[in-house]
Amino acid sequence: MDDSTLHVYTILFVMITVVLVYTSRYFLARRARRLSQGRAPGFKRLSGWLGEAIEAGRPLHLSFGSAGIDRENAAVAAAEAELFYHIIKAARSGDVAPVISTSSSATVPLCQDTIRRAWDGDDRRARAQWFPGGSRSLAFAAGLTATMQVEDPSAHILAGSFGPELALILDSAERQGQGSFAVSDQLEGGAIAFAMADEVLIGEQLFSAAAWLSHESTARADASAQDLWRGLLIALMAILVLINVAGQLSIASWSLVVGAALALAFIGIILFRRR
Amino acid sequence: MSRAQRIGIAFSAFIAFAVGLITLLSLLLGGRPELYAELAGAPVFASLMTLPAAVMLRLVAITSAVTIVIGISNLLYVHLGRVVRGAFFSIVMIASFALTIWWYWSKQGDTSLLAAVQVPIESALAALLFLSMVGGGARVLGKRADIWGLLFVTVLVVVLLGSLPIESLAPVRAWSDWLMEIPVSAGARAILLGIALGTVVTGVRVLLGQDRSYRG
Repeated sequence: MDDSTLHVYTILFVMITVVLVYTSRYFLARRARRLSQGRAPGFKRLSGWLGEAIEAGRPLHLSFGSAGIDRENAAVAAAEAELFYHIIKAARSGDVAPVISTSSSATVPLCQDTIRRAWDGDDRRARAQWFPGGSRSLAFAAGLTATMQVEDPSAHILAGSFGPELALILDSAERQGQGSFAVSDQLEGGAIAFAMADEVLIGEQLFSAAAWLSHESTARADASAQDLWRGLLIALMAILVLINVAGQLSIASWSLVVGAALALAFIGIILFRRR
Repeated sequence: MSRAQRIGIAFSAFIAFAVGLITLLSLLLGGRPELYAELAGAPVFASLMTLPAAVMLRLVAITSAVTIVIGISNLLYVHLGRVVRGAFFSIVMIASFALTIWWYWSKQGDTSLLAAVQVPIESALAALLFLSMVGGGARVLGKRADIWGLLFVTVLVVVLLGSLPIESLAPVRAWSDWLMEIPVSAGARAILLGIALGTVVTGVRVLLGQDRSYRG
């Protein structure tokens, strides 16, 4: 495929996404309001942590990691700012504002803006904290774990871009008896989160996490647009695999391929409905 | 919300939308004369199309450099507040900051402190990281006592054994290689594809001015 064709496909992809986002918002506006928070994956212990933070007068610690609005993972920072907004709003009845940390200096204003929108109390400026990242974000992890001994949060919500340094933060949280929720756009971070965090989300759930906590229909509609794209992509890949198999195996007749495709589609629909 | 605030929100959303759209189109359509083959001055037009993206990306680079000052100010603000309360680590941080500035200024830009202090400390942290990861791996089944936790630990053990340079473990190495090449590679691609789709949808939301930061 030459570059020009690839560019045309890219433009088409963006345009279709725009249409999908608007269409989802239009059609899912009413349905989304009925979604219950109880179905939220990875958030089973969040209400407990929130209650503990409010009762004990301890903060929650939220972290973007190295996700920054001036980097290639700007979308991760934008998505997690939305998640943090809903978490801070839920913690608003407490006395101590949550702490948001980042290793991207450009994200400091985003942290302060998120706290300003969701929290009404005083001293909000000091609740956004920047730590220099260093070459492998180890300096960030070291600074963070030292600071968290001072702040003594009830739990850590680590949602953003984390690599292996996540192990240091989660280990520190475990030793101090603090809860942890982790999700990362990096594969190493995701694996460590699965092994060490109390609650975990994987992969693209990073972008739909806010939809589970929000009562706004628009957030759920955006997540649905993402689901729809994923479904289309899976269907396309399945069709290509089946066509390839049909061409290579003599026993795989077209009727068998169509049967297999229908069976796969049926299983896919059932799994999607049961989520 | 007052009328002036509503106008401000609409204005900021419009600016974001316009700048985002122009930059996106410039990145996608700029520098490709073959797309405008029917136009007379196709090369000049294609070159002009790259200009908005180049200007915006230059602006981003400059703004990013300025935000370092915001980061350092934030660091000092937070830790000076804690020094008043007698936090030991914050006192060490402020003293190290002052010492580094003084050193750099008095030694005419000498960065030997970086090599002498930060590099060994980061190496020590990397060693600590190894211990944390081993400890975390050992606790997996305590945290996730289900089929997925068991699968995680099994794969971990097979891959670790497969990486050992012992001749009698050759069959395990074959299993380890297969795991890394087929299921792990497929899973990693699936996760990255999902993240890419999420990035596009979030990017479109920001581009359309629907993000919360534009809502006042």
